Amino acid sequence: AVEDLFTALHRHIEAGDFAQVVKVADQVLKAAPGDEDAVRCKVVAHIKSDGIDQALAAIRAAERLPIDLGYYKAYCYYRQNKLQEALELLRGQEETSVVLQLESQILYRQGRMNDCMNSYEKLQKFKIDSMDLKINIIAALVAAG
Amino acid sequence: NPIVLDMAYNAVEFPNLENRM
Ligand SMILES: [K+]
Repeated sequence: AVEDLFTALHRHIEAGDFAQVVKVADQVLKAAPGDEDAVRCKVVAHIKSDGIDQALAAIRAAERLPIDLGYYKAYCYYRQNKLQEALELLRGQEETSVVLQLESQILYRQGRMNDCMNSYEKLQKFKIDSMDLKINIIAALVAAG
Repeated sequence: NPIVLDMAYNAVEFPNLENRM
């Protein structure tokens, strides 16, 4: 049953066994084509194992489904240094802390430090207490000069 | 430029499967 497959999926996620996550997600998709959780598991498992090309292939395979994979796609483009494409995808997303974080990283890579600092200012409204975030803001300040 | 930590990677998360099992 699909419930058993999801139990196995959950176990593989907990174990960090991403190859098995992809395998079982495919089994779910065979039994339940277009299942949103399975599609997301497959895409995330590829990203977490640095299979960016495979993640994009899984995203494209799900293109006709009513699932918003825009953030994942933008992240994959960021990893491939397709920075403008990544930014354009983020424009279609709600301005969550996660979206702002990726946006700031893209702008930083593009050397657009003023825009990057603007993203960080918006991000600070979310009151995230994170050492990583502080490090990134300092990096942008240093780069901005 | 200083290296930036990839916080966006950490933000890529698996869905909650609690009610699917
Ligand atoms: K970077």
